[in-house]
Amino acid sequence: MNRLVKPRTLFVALTLLCLLAIWLSLALGPVSLPLFDTLRAGARLIGLPVAGEGLEQAELILGQIRLPRTLLGLAVGAVLALSGVAMQGLFRNPLADPGLVGVSAGAALGAAVAIVGGSWVGGIPEVLAPYLLSLCAFLGGLGVTALVYRLGRHDGQTNVATMLLAGIALTALAGAAVGLFTYLADDATLRTLTFWNLGSLNGASYQRLWPLVLVAVLVSLWLPRRAQALNALLLGESEARHLGIEVEKLKRELVFCTALGVGAAVAAAGLIGFIGLVVPHLVRLLAGPDHRVLLPASLLAGASLLLFADLIARLVLAPAELPIGIVTAFIGAPFFLYLLLRGRA
Amino acid sequence: MRPRARLIALCAGLVFNTLAQAEALPQRWVSAGGALSEWVTALGGEQKLVGVDTTSQHPASLKALPSVGYQRQLSAEGVLSLRPDVLVGTEEMGPPPVLAQIRGAGVKVELLSSKADLGAVEGNLQKLGHLLGNEQQARQLFADYRQQLDALQGKIKQLQSTQAAPGVILLVGHAGSKPMIAGKGTSGDWLLRQAGARNLADNEGYKNFSVEALAALDPDVLVFADRSLSGDQALQALLKENPALNASRAARNKRLIELDPTLLVGGLGPRLPVTLQRLSQAFYPTAQ
Repeated sequence: MNRLVKPRTLFVALTLLCLLAIWLSLALGPVSLPLFDTLRAGARLIGLPVAGEGLEQAELILGQIRLPRTLLGLAVGAVLALSGVAMQGLFRNPLADPGLVGVSAGAALGAAVAIVGGSWVGGIPEVLAPYLLSLCAFLGGLGVTALVYRLGRHDGQTNVATMLLAGIALTALAGAAVGLFTYLADDATLRTLTFWNLGSLNGASYQRLWPLVLVAVLVSLWLPRRAQALNALLLGESEARHLGIEVEKLKRELVFCTALGVGAAVAAAGLIGFIGLVVPHLVRLLAGPDHRVLLPASLLAGASLLLFADLIARLVLAPAELPIGIVTAFIGAPFFLYLLLRGRA
Repeated sequence: MRPRARLIALCAGLVFNTLAQAEALPQRWVSAGGALSEWVTALGGEQKLVGVDTTSQHPASLKALPSVGYQRQLSAEGVLSLRPDVLVGTEEMGPPPVLAQIRGAGVKVELLSSKADLGAVEGNLQKLGHLLGNEQQARQLFADYRQQLDALQGKIKQLQSTQAAPGVILLVGHAGSKPMIAGKGTSGDWLLRQAGARNLADNEGYKNFSVEALAALDPDVLVFADRSLSGDQALQALLKENPALNASRAARNKRLIELDPTLLVGGLGPRLPVTLQRLSQAFYPTAQ
């Protein structure tokens, strides 16, 4: 596959796109703020001495609602896209997505346990209650991924094909368990579960944001350092080993980064599909398969795409809002089909 | 001296401010919760509503208002864009971080009860009456409500002393197919029992039954609520999709009663006494 765009051009374009997405995400919403007020409130938020009269509402909307939401969108989009690159590199298959190692299914199971189980048990400590869902989703994702990884190991070697099949089997198993919880749930918890499965950036707040931001920063710093190793892995496992790459260690790191990143993203925003699959694809199409470009470019593209999807989600039905997973799937699925048919022609 | 003067001024300001707020009634309302929106309307507050959630389907004129989405998935900015003074909902309203954001923006968030008991209705009406500035009417409304329900209970008790309570099931479906049966702990079960029936389903919550299990129940009266069809169409669809029901005593004796499915969500609403009256007449036809 040849590149269509020079890496530098791509980076400039994606950075501009990302800045545009951030700006629009801060400037647009169901509450229409005058542009000048948004600018002044924004200036006050970053500590510039601007007169604050009449800005209370703009500052509140910007600082307490739109800014945390934008940060959440950036982190979730970046992490999902990076994990997509990691998985497509690990499985050496452009159809791989982060769900393959069971992290999404595990998180969904964790969420079902928290939502449905929580309503049976009751008496959950006041401090823990708001975080229970996120915590269970995160642990569920991590747990199932660890199991998939464990099943793929044999004699100190990780067999990627076995891991793939184990991932499919455990995803089905977790799906069945979620189905059982769905059956046992009452109407109210059922609705909560359904909405959670569609993902949303709604209600983002700084207190719940920082674990994900921490993970996003770690993953964003770590994965690009493995770009050369991922490039070598493209040639095949034994070739990479001959090139001096510690393949086993690399696989472990890739799985760990994905589980951590996607687990944290899902815990914060629910299941959001297609970003991890489509974004690396798109970037590879534009700039070729070199991971030194692919990783940082996917980070920017994923973050931008998620912010644009969230804009649609919050504006199209205002004052109600659409779950973002619906929007990303509506964008992602036709695009994926287009790629498929285009390759065939 | 100066700082102290400022402090006094601040305190005075705060006191006057709260006094002023206590007097000013909220003028722009967003209501999330079907029964609550009905009560607000019944108390003459409909013109104050600037937005409702998707469960607020009655009266039909509410559907023309902007929708803030499902009560558990409100959007902070979406609600704020309607510039409400107050957001009323039940404890089902959420998610909690969004409610915190809405409160943070200075909008009063009132959580009422969705429990199916008269105490909850009384508390809700008191609060709504207070917020609408017509406590007198709210008290009167509740007194009438309780009186109607009490009268009905008295009548049912009397009827049950001479005849056995009929065995009833309540099916909730979508165009007839795969109906859910209302079991223990559901609002449907509560309705049936209040109207003097014996609910034959002893499962918890709403559950799908197999055709065979449905046929085995053999109810005296069948109550059905359909979310997409109404009237005779709903009944025909139900019997067509579930032929086993045709053999039941209820179908043979044509004791099949329709129920509006919106009555089953969001606590007890103002349409309840009329509904119970209608159900009990169907359960005890000889009493008329």
